[in-house]
Amino acid sequence: MKPPRFDYTAPTALPEALRALGEGACPLAGGQSLVLEMHYRRQRPSALVDLNGIAELDHITAGDDGLRVGALARHRAFEQPVAGPLGRLLSRAAVHIAHPPVRNRGTMLGSLAWANPASEWPAVALALQAELTLASASATRTVPAEEFFRGPHTTARRPDELLVEARFPALEGAAGFVEHRRTHASFAQVAAAVALTVRGGAVRQARIALAGAADRPIRVRAAEQHLVGLEVGRVAGGGSDEDAFRRAGELAAAAADPIPEPHGSAEHKRQVAAVLVRRALQQAHQDQADQDQPHQDGACGT
Amino acid sequence: MHRAAARADQHPGYADPVNDSAPAPRGLLRREDLRLTTGAGRYVADVAVPGCLDAAFVRSEVAHGRLLDVDTSGCAEVRGVVGAWSAADLDPLPEVPAFGPSGATRGRRWSALADDRVRYAGQPVAAVLGDDRYTAEDGADEVAVRVAELPALVDPTEAADSDTRLFDTGGNVAAEVDFGEPVDEEVFRRAPVVVAGEYRQQRLAPTSMEPRAFLAVPDGRGGLQVWCSHQAPHRLHRELAAALQLGHDQLRVQVPDSGGAFGAKSATFPEYLVVAQLALQRQRPVRWIEDRAEALVAATHGRGQNQRVQLAADESGRMLAMRVEVDADIGGFPHIGFVPNQTGLAATGAYRTPQVHARVRLVLTSTAPTYAYRGAGRPEAAYAVERTVDKLAHRLGLDPAELRRRNFIAPEQFPYGTPTGRLYDSGEYERALDLALSELDYDGWRAEQARERAKGGRALGIGLCSYVERSGADRGMTQEYGAVEVAATGAVTALSGSCSTGQSHETVFPRMVAEQLEVPEDRVQLQQRDTAEVPHGTGTFASRSMQLGGTALRRATDALLDEGRRRVAELSGSDEVSYGAGAFRAGERAWTLGELAAETGKLRGEDLHEGVPAFPFGCYAAVVEVDRELGDVQVLKLVAVDDYGVVVDPVVVDGQTRGSIAQGLGQALYEGVPYDEHGQPRISGLLDYLLPTVAEIPRTHLRETCTPNPNTPLGAKGAGEAGCIGVPPALVNAVADALGAHDEPQLQMPLTPETCRRAAEGAR
Amino acid sequence: MSAVSLRVNGAEHAVDVEPRRLLADVLREECGLTGTKLGCEHGVCGSCTVLLDGQAVRSCLLLAVQCHGREISTVEGLAADGELHPLQEAFSAEHGLQCGFCTAGFLMLAEGARRTEPEVFADPEQLTQLLTSNLCRCTGYHGIVRAVRRAAGQEPE
Repeated sequence: MKPPRFDYTAPTALPEALRALGEGACPLAGGQSLVLEMHYRRQRPSALVDLNGIAELDHITAGDDGLRVGALARHRAFEQPVAGPLGRLLSRAAVHIAHPPVRNRGTMLGSLAWANPASEWPAVALALQAELTLASASATRTVPAEEFFRGPHTTARRPDELLVEARFPALEGAAGFVEHRRTHASFAQVAAAVALTVRGGAVRQARIALAGAADRPIRVRAAEQHLVGLEVGRVAGGGSDEDAFRRAGELAAAAADPIPEPHGSAEHKRQVAAVLVRRALQQAHQDQADQDQPHQDGACGT
Repeated sequence: MHRAAARADQHPGYADPVNDSAPAPRGLLRREDLRLTTGAGRYVADVAVPGCLDAAFVRSEVAHGRLLDVDTSGCAEVRGVVGAWSAADLDPLPEVPAFGPSGATRGRRWSALADDRVRYAGQPVAAVLGDDRYTAEDGADEVAVRVAELPALVDPTEAADSDTRLFDTGGNVAAEVDFGEPVDEEVFRRAPVVVAGEYRQQRLAPTSMEPRAFLAVPDGRGGLQVWCSHQAPHRLHRELAAALQLGHDQLRVQVPDSGGAFGAKSATFPEYLVVAQLALQRQRPVRWIEDRAEALVAATHGRGQNQRVQLAADESGRMLAMRVEVDADIGGFPHIGFVPNQTGLAATGAYRTPQVHARVRLVLTSTAPTYAYRGAGRPEAAYAVERTVDKLAHRLGLDPAELRRRNFIAPEQFPYGTPTGRLYDSGEYERALDLALSELDYDGWRAEQARERAKGGRALGIGLCSYVERSGADRGMTQEYGAVEVAATGAVTALSGSCSTGQSHETVFPRMVAEQLEVPEDRVQLQQRDTAEVPHGTGTFASRSMQLGGTALRRATDALLDEGRRRVAELSGSDEVSYGAGAFRAGERAWTLGELAAETGKLRGEDLHEGVPAFPFGCYAAVVEVDRELGDVQVLKLVAVDDYGVVVDPVVVDGQTRGSIAQGLGQALYEGVPYDEHGQPRISGLLDYLLPTVAEIPRTHLRETCTPNPNTPLGAKGAGEAGCIGVPPALVNAVADALGAHDEPQLQMPLTPETCRRAAEGAR
Repeated sequence: MSAVSLRVNGAEHAVDVEPRRLLADVLREECGLTGTKLGCEHGVCGSCTVLLDGQAVRSCLLLAVQCHGREISTVEGLAADGELHPLQEAFSAEHGLQCGFCTAGFLMLAEGARRTEPEVFADPEQLTQLLTSNLCRCTGYHGIVRAVRRAAGQEPE
């Protein structure tokens, strides 16, 4: 399993890389998916442009408007969470991606651009309503995550464009992430990412996204609407939360349209989606509770 | 720990396996470890031969069809490609030899490159040689293959009756073999209880971490030197020499360090034949380093059976008769498809059921040929028997352990001739069961299970498997060669026809010989895995190396000492010759081994040991919890009680047990090679063929009993395959117990989350 | 062809290779360091694990040209001054290898953690997560876990 021949450049400045893309080159960042595809000769780019030397792409910047992530930010960088529910969600998702040696090289934006329907970051990007910036030699544009993922390995990115930045708006509330896979070395079958905007102890906005439940990551709007107004965290009480979470899971299952695989039929994945959404919501609920009432020793659900 | 019966203590070399606390040696545990931990191991792909060409194979993408045309002309323009060959270009066209005499191969040719038809997706159709693997693959890209598709056959039961025939001669049932006498239907009609089960043994990919590797270097005198990752170099030598029409001394086969084999590297595969012939004809060194994609799809698979079992018993659970019908999927060619016969032979299990009949059909399908894989036919038998025994227990409302007790072959009945053709040597099956139950805390877990059931809590299950294994191999392969030589320097060489692919022979055999000769261990070296240095050998598989190879060395050492005594008697004129601490003594005179060799010539002892199969046994017990919502199976505790007879090296045997347990776990929960209706494998890599990682391995407790092998001076039976025999039935029985799903036909391996969920729903 | 300079185990290797040549193949062939193995070429089995600037990576998914001027550590560099590395001794002592094919990958995975996040060895859960990175088909992992803990000064069990 050796790759076919290709030309190779490794610019240190972004414009040069964008020019190469304009001329038909394929971008190489982490390579943990692309190089594998090339081994199988399923992808045969005639030229690769290696982005790893372009310093301006290597950043994770926290600001008032949230988190801005550059094209060279590795999965590993998110494992230690920055403060807040946004950081916690990114951290919980990151530790599920493959395993450490792959996370040392693979990049978040590479994963977004690759758009494997079972990948974690696309679902997280949807749940957090990320804004994705695409740059070409001639123009730059920003696409909301909702419009970015169009099918299996199919996104709004044109071949001459590079996904240069993802911006995750600040999240005021709580988050949860749960994944189901068969062994610790396999892809996720299904994963659920939940981001709740909470004010005054109640859900003002819910975003529930699923990976592995369709041919692209999906939001489950029916389930989201069901949760608006729900009291969560320490303020909440009783089993009504559980009922709401269960109902949200059922709605998620109904919205799912999973791609069957040898050991996971569509029906099974639907059922898994229902369970994972419920568990992710429970996790978010606990996340909120931990924020409302920090433990005595100061550890605050991070 | 319950001590072995008195007779075990009488065996020299017996060591209580649990209380054995020999201190770990300072320095390294094994001689192999120095090079293997420092990157100095030399596997086939590490052998550097200047000017060596790499082979890449063009493989059929169609499972079954008439091969119309193979056009290699496009390769001519590819930089670095030396040539490309299809069947039409290879003269002569070598054929894969049949393993043993077999009517099944009559009129059915397995050409090393497909000639008239393709019969499995992945079958080699053309070979491309390039300066390196990259360019060879570039060349392979340019080869165009045209196939007129024929219907694919992927299920052996369907293929048995299909009008689509894989060969022009005969139907798809290559052979039908009976084990035991057919049971009269009347027995089943009149029996108070009859339970039945249908089971699927999924295809497995052996997946040694090193795939296959073969290097052929012409010696410039018309002969060939071969390096191969292999388990049976003498067999490979014999079959390659015959296929290439080389004289015995024109071919040398060496096995360097080998990255695991598990049964699947013991044959002469089509790729080896092509590479060897091209090397000879081109007078260039050529190697084929298999990659993982090929290894998963186009190398031989293990298991692959549809099974139907019926078990008749009386009201007290005494088993009266068992019928086992196996449709074994041997894949596209019948030449090496003998493994399912082992299932028939093993079908009696651990029980004294008076009537047992197994019928095994070896059925051709348009899939990769199946062949040996750790356990090779015995895991399949243990599964068929042990799942059905649990069904019987469930039907009768009897505790599964108690049911087994009522039916075990008793210790005084050995040697025991089984209805299906085995002569079991020794066994104490109930003792192994008792130890498993106590180690598990069976009563404690049953109580916990009852509590959880009462409150509608966790789905806990307990499963058992009492197994009887066969080690050492069968007629035709029960021989092993051993020789021991002493040079004038006093250096001792032990020669063995066995062939380690990770089994630590390099350390264990010299230690054994050194102990017997009473010399320091570092005085003895092992010579193995080289047909030019070791004249005979059968190889390493079927857990035979200590049982047969070790015995051969023991007897060879005896022979050497006898020869030494004879020479000393002659030299000294005395009949009173003794040996101890590395020296012979006669009266006042003494000779060390080396001194005797210096004076009288090399000292040698040799043995071609003809052994008989041995029957290790044991009991595995598992506690599982099943997540009803998601179908996940968590193994809370796993107990393995194995009886390998006398264990010569407990550390090595423990390692083998744990490795085989992981493979058994893989079959039970994760692994499988499914095919679609077009004969296409639905896996392509290790992201869909799932091996257990460390996180999948449960808390495992190993215990041993010791019932010596009465048929070898070592008392050792074979060890190494028990885990993949004992684990699957124990786990599946546990999940069936947890879900109340003993009669659920959906409960088939691998127990994926979906399978368990569906079985849970079906059982409700 | 590209001129690439790799610093492997402290020694410079100047090679001329096509961009498509994998780091694993260049280490094994041009640099003659065959200790790093190829078991799958899809980044799953981990037999090819080496350290790139101290971090564990899959050398089967890296192009050699990407590593120009970088520090690479392979299994051949673990032993120093004729002394085995504690990990090497521990793997042997705990029988953490049988066929040895996966061993270099596990050694480098553990060594990478020792250099960059040694706290992982004291936490059984985190250590398990780390070791799921690599596959072994022979040992059932028992000896490997014990070896890694032992080398880190922990109780093997």
